[in-house]
Amino acid sequence: MKNCIITFRSVTPAQRAEDVLRRAGVECTIQRTPRWMEEKGCGYSLRMPCGDMLVAASLLRNAGVSFRSAYSLGEEGRVEELRL
Amino acid sequence: MTYLDHGATSFHKPESVYRAVRCALENCGNPGRGGYPATLAAAKTVLRCRERAGELFSCSPEQVVMTSSCTYGLNMAIRTLVKPGDRVLITGFEHNAVTRPLYALGAKVIVAGRKLFDWEDTLEDWKRALKQGVDAAVFTHVSNVFGYILPVEEMARLCKLHRVPFVIDAAQSAGILPVNMGELGADFIAMPGHKGLLGPMGTGLLLCGGLPVSLVQGGTGSMSREQQMPDFLPDGAEAGTLNVPGIAGLSAGIAYLQQAEIPQILAKQQHQVQRCVQGLKKLGMRVFSGDHQSGTVSFVPNMDCEDAAKILAQQGIAVRAGLHCAPLAHQSAGTLETGTVRVSFGHDAAAWQTGNLLLAAEKLTGYS
Repeated sequence: MKNCIITFRSVTPAQRAEDVLRRAGVECTIQRTPRWMEEKGCGYSLRMPCGDMLVAASLLRNAGVSFRSAYSLGEEGRVEELRL
Repeated sequence: MTYLDHGATSFHKPESVYRAVRCALENCGNPGRGGYPATLAAAKTVLRCRERAGELFSCSPEQVVMTSSCTYGLNMAIRTLVKPGDRVLITGFEHNAVTRPLYALGAKVIVAGRKLFDWEDTLEDWKRALKQGVDAAVFTHVSNVFGYILPVEEMARLCKLHRVPFVIDAAQSAGILPVNMGELGADFIAMPGHKGLLGPMGTGLLLCGGLPVSLVQGGTGSMSREQQMPDFLPDGAEAGTLNVPGIAGLSAGIAYLQQAEIPQILAKQQHQVQRCVQGLKKLGMRVFSGDHQSGTVSFVPNMDCEDAAKILAQQGIAVRAGLHCAPLAHQSAGTLETGTVRVSFGHDAAAWQTGNLLLAAEKLTGYS
């Protein structure tokens, strides 16, 4: 299953997002944002199946939780930025 | 001990507060500083506290900034809104936590509303001062000395009408009276975590309408490559490691209040204040009471206040005497020279406490 990542500027919105998604039945894992994804340093992100990304983005917007970017993680480490 | 000094700090906290502090000490790392379970548990503990506070005070979790005290929050808020030489409107019942930062900044302080328990006078004076033009306003919700509940909703409305930014000092009201950030429309509301909210000392909250000036700069666990503090809440106002055990206790205190129902706690306190007022007056004390009074009452005995508090303490009654860090309030009430003895009830206000106080206060009547 292909995984995707949504990034946040700090742990507060990341954990709020985690709560919002879990309450809606979207499984996700919180993690530190990989360094190469976070230009300003030290962010947090949620990892989840790519199939849930559109729903997740919509849930977060409705809950007023802002996120920075979204990426899909392909095979052999290929990464693609998503527009949600 | 009959503890009647909840205006200073709440004592005998709910069991859940002690448990939460211990649990945080045993399980929490530094929040926002890693991706392992202990740091995430700490961050979740802090987030829960922000969420509970946001629910109680009608704002978003991000608007809830953790501070070490109400004083710290007031200093941040005042330094954000006030520049040297600004005209700043305050009431006649402010604590030194408001007046000293204003003095240090070199603000021109205008005092309005000095009559105790008189909303009409307070509002007339407030309106008059606003019409003359001020740059900011800072006002207390409840006088820490006299328990006077000020008409903050109307004072806030008037500030907004005159487009004056304002700060509310909720030191004696948070957890006791409704404090609605959304409806009040305040720029900032500062409060302690250890009084009405039943958390540990060393905690406080600053509810922020916008990003405040941070009094200190440092690590936030976010935007680490940037040398400026983050420009978003709450990180931009929270440099350094947070007091996670304290915040865990505060969170448990807020949860307790949400279950206990705050209006019932206030009603219990006010009932005991009324009994105190009647009892102390019968003993010949000068008692300050009136409409719009919270769970706090001050009196002047027929002897030095500190001596009176000492005699009461010898009988197991814990009350506070003196100026209560609010000389302006005493100036307004005419008690600057004598000070007062302050009795302040807490979440556990009960008839036996008043009974013990009045019994002990009989020992004060033999002096003149």
